[in-house]
Amino acid sequence: MGLTARFGGLAAAEPVPVFAIAGSGMKSAVQDLRLDPGVRIVDTPRAAAVLLVAGATAAQDAEALARIHDALPHPRATVAWQVAEPFGRAGGSSSVVVDGEDPVPALRAVLRALLVGHRPSEPSILPDVDVTDWRGVGPYGQGGSGMTGGTPYGRPMAELAPDRDGLRLDILPVTIGPFFPRLPVGLVLDVQLAGDVVTEVLVTTSRAVGTGDGSGSPFIRALSGPVSIAELELARARDHLRWLADALIAQGLPAYGRRALRLAHDVREGDGGRVRAAAARIRRSGVFRWSLPRSGRLDRAAFSGLGLGPIARAIGLAEDVRIEDAAYRALGFAPYLIDDGGPPGWWHARMEEAARSLDLAAEAGDRKTTVVGRVESPRGRLGSDDSPTARALTLLPEILTGLEWGDAIATLVALDLDMDEMSAVGGAGMARVSA
Amino acid sequence: MNTYAALEMALLAVASAVVVGVYAVAVADRLVEQLVAGDRVRVAATLAAPARRVALLLSQSRTTTERPDAAGWALAPALLAGLAVFALAFVPLGPGLVVADPETGFVAFSAAIAFVMIAVFLHGWSPNSTLPLVGAYRYGAQALSFQIPFLLAMLATALPAESLSIVRIVEAQEPLWNVVRQPLGLPIYLIVGLAVSFWGPLNLPDGPDLAGGTSVEDAGVARLLWGLARSTMLVAVAAMGAAGFLGGWYGPLLPGPVWVIVKTLVLLAVIVIAGHVFARVRIESFVIAAWVVLIPLALLNIFVSGALLL
Repeated sequence: MGLTARFGGLAAAEPVPVFAIAGSGMKSAVQDLRLDPGVRIVDTPRAAAVLLVAGATAAQDAEALARIHDALPHPRATVAWQVAEPFGRAGGSSSVVVDGEDPVPALRAVLRALLVGHRPSEPSILPDVDVTDWRGVGPYGQGGSGMTGGTPYGRPMAELAPDRDGLRLDILPVTIGPFFPRLPVGLVLDVQLAGDVVTEVLVTTSRAVGTGDGSGSPFIRALSGPVSIAELELARARDHLRWLADALIAQGLPAYGRRALRLAHDVREGDGGRVRAAAARIRRSGVFRWSLPRSGRLDRAAFSGLGLGPIARAIGLAEDVRIEDAAYRALGFAPYLIDDGGPPGWWHARMEEAARSLDLAAEAGDRKTTVVGRVESPRGRLGSDDSPTARALTLLPEILTGLEWGDAIATLVALDLDMDEMSAVGGAGMARVSA
Repeated sequence: MNTYAALEMALLAVASAVVVGVYAVAVADRLVEQLVAGDRVRVAATLAAPARRVALLLSQSRTTTERPDAAGWALAPALLAGLAVFALAFVPLGPGLVVADPETGFVAFSAAIAFVMIAVFLHGWSPNSTLPLVGAYRYGAQALSFQIPFLLAMLATALPAESLSIVRIVEAQEPLWNVVRQPLGLPIYLIVGLAVSFWGPLNLPDGPDLAGGTSVEDAGVARLLWGLARSTMLVAVAAMGAAGFLGGWYGPLLPGPVWVIVKTLVLLAVIVIAGHVFARVRIESFVIAAWVVLIPLALLNIFVSGALLL
């Protein structure tokens, strides 16, 4: 055994660093990979050895996807999970395609083959050229007049604009998404930053409404017919815990995040106490005290009538489709209302609702929903042509403007946007939202 | 033993402190993460993990960005690691067992801490990329806020010693360790130490909201070097904490250098555990806490320590 092979073997024993892209319908499956000791989900393609493309991504994101691919260091490979080769390549440099439930054996085999030299590294997809031609204008060829004029190499320079304190400071246009690790795949935010404060937001999404397949979700099924309340409430609690897992990672608590994700798998009807115990532990991490922003820009009127589920109930709005349902009323259901707007209240409301849903599921027996055509999803009022995520997206510019970067990301994560749910139902959807 | 032999021994001690300390940080970090997450603890895999991670990162190529400041990018981890080793050189392992013991040891150590800001800013600036740049500026705000409480917390330890020499500061703790004499000192030092080494809840320049911040664009060896430099800085902060507050080499039964190592590892363990059980601090909360809470507390600490000595 040669030295290279020995060294490669040592390296291949490490969990595979994977940059994962959760395409259509694959959010939970990709999230579950965090529980597998054989892989390590990383936040940047530069830290990855394998690019995992799970499920379909939008055609208009193809170039962004290729750019992510080309950012991986050599030796690199792509694994396409439950989707065809994403870059249209054929032959030796094409992706490893996995159709089964578990991509981990393939990921591990690919890393080993790369490291011991049995598999060539994938070449870049995009040509290594400047985004636009060098314009060469101005005395220093900086692309414009003055020190900060122009757009050299297609990169807009920082320009001066008034900031919130009335000073004139640099502003920088930045695009976040469609594959930013803290945001759902397909969400793109074009923001103007003054320092690290968001001064302007333009929201676009590549996920079209009415195109997704949500038949696996009991909430989508509840739109067309009665569904067992026990099943619905268990799914709601698990959905909240899955959101909690991602939200904890965003607040710098990946170990607690894995714990929450495991809890999402383990909980059964009547396990409300387990969720409350987990919530108590999370509270001791200081997340409510010094981690979550109190984004005070949001008043009750802005949310009223939007049916945003736990977000509405966290500021005391009794908006819940379950109130209209006779079967829920027979169970003595009452919405959990608090008066604590902003991300801390949203966190608190979701954790408590997860616990209450589990207790409700235990009491529900074989009762079924009686309201058809709309349902209270974990994110709010879901109709056959109207999703809470589409409505929440219209609020983003107002919510995010004026926040520091970290607060903006924490707020976005706390909103619990679900592009799969949005695309599973029809409706007007949204093209562009700006402020 | 002539001067050169003593110096060689001391240099060897610093080098082994770095290697052992960085390995201990890597293993402890994985171990604590498994425990907190409730994973099955895999001891053998955890002990081997640092070597595997190093082998994997060495097998990966470096990458580049569009028009980076290549020299600055390469220099940043070297600067951070250099500052950490420089700071470690003033930590005595035992009486006379120290690389450098100038009368101004405390000042030199503080200077090294002040320069950490340059290293982190350079690391975020040079890739010519957005997220690293935001991380770099954020560390600027963080560093401006932690410098003063860090200095004040350390300065209080110089009062009972009536000297700025680190060896004298340790010797002054023979009757009573500073952690008892100045109960506010060590907590302030540790909080600010987390900020200096941007670790855990105060890992704001390289945090998850920036997808890795200043190290977003690092691949392969560059990522490895930055990680090693960060861990070395953490070891330096913990070792100086052991010397300044936990009585350095003083302790029963065991020889002095062993006590220094044990105390350093204890502080490292505290820092690593804090990294996994405390949530990320908002930069605004940190800046306010540093100026409004930590500086007054550190001043109070100095006044009380001074008054007790009169």
